[in-house]
Amino acid sequence: MRTRTRNVSATLLALMFAATITTAAAAQTATPAPSSSGDVVLRVGVIADLDTDNVFAVSAGSDYTVATSEYDMLLSFSSKDLTAAPGLATGCDHNGDYTTWTCHIRPGLKWSDGQPLTSEDIAFTYRFVIDNNIPQYKSYFPSDPTFETPDPTTLIWKAKAPTFAPEMPPWVYIVPEHIWAPYDGKDLKTIRDVSQTPAVGSGPFILTSWTPGQGFVMSRNPYYWGPTPSLDRIEYQVYTNQEAMIQALKNGEIDALDGLQPSLINSVQGSPNITLQKVVSDWWLNLAFNFGGQPGSTYTPLPALHDLVVRKAIEMAIDKNAIVQKVYEGAATPGDTIVRPASAYWHLDIPADKEFQYNPTEAAQMLQQAGYVDTNGDGIREDPKTGQPLEMRIPASTDTTGAEQAGELIVGYLKQIGIKVDLLPATDAKMNDYWGSGNFDAYIWYWSGDPDPNYQLFVFTSAQCGSWSDGCWKDPHFDKLYEEQHTEMNQTKRQAIVKEAQQYEYDQVPGVVLAYPNWLEAYRTDRFTGWVGQPGPDGYVLPTYNYDTWLYLRPLGETSSNSSSGLPGWVWLIAAVVIAGVVVVTRRGRKIEPDEA
Amino acid sequence: MGSRRYLLSKCLQALVTLWFVLTFNFFLFRVLPGDPIGMLARSEKLSPADIAALRHDQGLDLPMAQQYVVYMKNVVTGDLGESLRTGLPVRDLIGSRMWPTVLLVGLGTILASWLGILIGIRGGWRRGSRFDTTSQYSSLVLYAMPEGWLGMLLLLIFSGWLHWFPAGGYARPDETGVAHLVDLLDHLFLPLLTLTLGYIGGYAIVMRSSMIDTINEDFVHTARAKGVPERLVRSKHVVPNAFLPSFTLIILSFGFVLGGAIVIETVYSWPGLGLLTYQAIQTLDFPVIQAVFLIASAAVIVANLIADITYGYLDPRIKQV
Repeated sequence: MRTRTRNVSATLLALMFAATITTAAAAQTATPAPSSSGDVVLRVGVIADLDTDNVFAVSAGSDYTVATSEYDMLLSFSSKDLTAAPGLATGCDHNGDYTTWTCHIRPGLKWSDGQPLTSEDIAFTYRFVIDNNIPQYKSYFPSDPTFETPDPTTLIWKAKAPTFAPEMPPWVYIVPEHIWAPYDGKDLKTIRDVSQTPAVGSGPFILTSWTPGQGFVMSRNPYYWGPTPSLDRIEYQVYTNQEAMIQALKNGEIDALDGLQPSLINSVQGSPNITLQKVVSDWWLNLAFNFGGQPGSTYTPLPALHDLVVRKAIEMAIDKNAIVQKVYEGAATPGDTIVRPASAYWHLDIPADKEFQYNPTEAAQMLQQAGYVDTNGDGIREDPKTGQPLEMRIPASTDTTGAEQAGELIVGYLKQIGIKVDLLPATDAKMNDYWGSGNFDAYIWYWSGDPDPNYQLFVFTSAQCGSWSDGCWKDPHFDKLYEEQHTEMNQTKRQAIVKEAQQYEYDQVPGVVLAYPNWLEAYRTDRFTGWVGQPGPDGYVLPTYNYDTWLYLRPLGETSSNSSSGLPGWVWLIAAVVIAGVVVVTRRGRKIEPDEA
Repeated sequence: MGSRRYLLSKCLQALVTLWFVLTFNFFLFRVLPGDPIGMLARSEKLSPADIAALRHDQGLDLPMAQQYVVYMKNVVTGDLGESLRTGLPVRDLIGSRMWPTVLLVGLGTILASWLGILIGIRGGWRRGSRFDTTSQYSSLVLYAMPEGWLGMLLLLIFSGWLHWFPAGGYARPDETGVAHLVDLLDHLFLPLLTLTLGYIGGYAIVMRSSMIDTINEDFVHTARAKGVPERLVRSKHVVPNAFLPSFTLIILSFGFVLGGAIVIETVYSWPGLGLLTYQAIQTLDFPVIQAVFLIASAAVIVANLIADITYGYLDPRIKQV
């Protein structure tokens, strides 16, 4: 009796496994087909899920990917060099003193729900951002502008002072007035809490479903004003394990992936049919010195940091090339100025003769000559003015790729020149505490900004102490250069001032730009063609600054290369094992019974 | 009479434990370094004034004691609040993660406990046999093996080399009906295999040692001396008594189902509660952390209560003490 029960359970178990495996096998053979409905679907693996589907709460990675595909801006960023390109407006003209800009909106635009999109929607969005103080976007409207819409295809931007703001262009997604008007005037939390799936947008793809933790789907907007994309849908799959995401790309489960760790470059590089895109850097790893004076701060950072000699010595003692190789596996370039290389038009490549070369011996000599001598033989130099040893507390963000590892190298570099570093790895939540309280001597974090350099220069001005400034560096000359570029309307002249400001900041060393790490993307070359880099061929191929890739991507014939008819070998193998198991258990059962009885 | 008092006292104990866990969690997470709103600052360009306004909206500027009262009141009324990070209702977030976790960890626990117990019974009954030595060694190896490592290994073999199974995720969003079920099973297979293999050893080891202990009890000798057939000695005398410790283990394991399997869910990108917990702790999303801990601890407490109560019936000696 017992034996029979056991045999039944063994058989059931075997059947269960067999069923699972067989159905799984059926799925396996179905996988490589483009999609069950015959639609053209692009599958993308991402490491970060959406944080929000609300364009006024966007914060990181995937949020911007979705918003960029879903909405247009007044003017967009060109794929060539991220300068202003036609968006909802074909262009904007300014008056003689740059206070009034007239933008020409495309006629006949529609939202994804079929409602007309006019200049009134653009004016509404801008007023909404300003009136409701939307943090992400409010800085794009200097000099108290007002907006007029004499007709559906004209937007007039009037500022109280000369401005180039409309052509920066402002990174503000235009939203439909008929959807957002009810939230105008509500508090920020209410606005941020609005959920928008499916959203109403004007871009080529609209977010149609989002399952937190699993992924999200964007579907083609039938009312999109530009060329009709070949894709019907884009499916994003969230991977919490990067090795698994790479495997999925190699298996052909996904067509592209976004945001690879540098340490995994070698598992992708050289794989057949896969291209690794090392995106020209639009962020930088930053060692920022603290000069103290944050409002309410009780901490006194190392006084010696006010001495330019000490800061220069630190810059010269750090081997940036080693950081690039050891921390980023070569997927980075050594850092120099605070305007990142992706903004190619504005970035200054510091000339070799003006560059601080890595030279720890000379750095040590500089300190020695300036009187920073190790008086008590403990390996750490003392400040001649205060007698205080050169010791620094340096928090490093564990949420920023490479920050902690770079910090570990810096501990060694500075030890060589007699400066002791106490490295404090911290999450961004904790980093923010250090930043706000000024309770550090230097920290290692990142900066990233707009294609236009204005914001990046702005955060280094004196007035930003206690707000955006890293460590309250205050330099009147730099402030003056910032103001000059801010009010210079001639682009060529402005470019020269921006470059001068970069050189000046570099020479004054309020911090060290350690590296420009590449963002890493990868895609299969046997599925789709037409990836558009922004900016240029080395730029992001997945939508970041604009959605051009979605417009030009074409499937490469039939994508069912891996499919084979019938069940794959492993099913037969496991089925055989299961059957063998059942036979053994059944026969054993018969044999045992007489023994035991 | 006795059993009603027993039941009441157990329920009361469970409630007190739950209250303690809630209170402890509330304060524990607020002691963590960092500020959930402040960490949005750099990526969202929030000025100190914006941060203060948001903190006020979320009630994070209230004194700790007042926040605690609000929190307890909300919990009692079933309001779990909204995620600080995404603004989504915590109830929805947890709802969408509950089913994947129950499916994976629940099924894994059933399979592992069932197989583990069968192995334990067989090994313990025929101690020293080839089956016993083999199963004991494999149980110990599986029990000691880090789940994450085992998961990566299976992923590498079955997805990387053999391409038999997908490299992770839950199911494709565009499939429905039978196709969805098939796709789901395809994604479920590897994490389920990892989890079952990872858990099986524990059950087998406990069941085996408890079998061995029971075999040497006087009543077993008595039964044998009376001439009860071996088959019946095993099924009527040894297994029911030896099963008690395993029973507790199984019931408690079901309590842990709602805690998710953080490591395995991360390795296989399986969108369960374990993964949600991990992500919420990373971003200091207090309402979400509190809610997942509340659910996980409540489940364990309830499971414990069930174990206590049923144990009282299975083994009347317990109730009398």
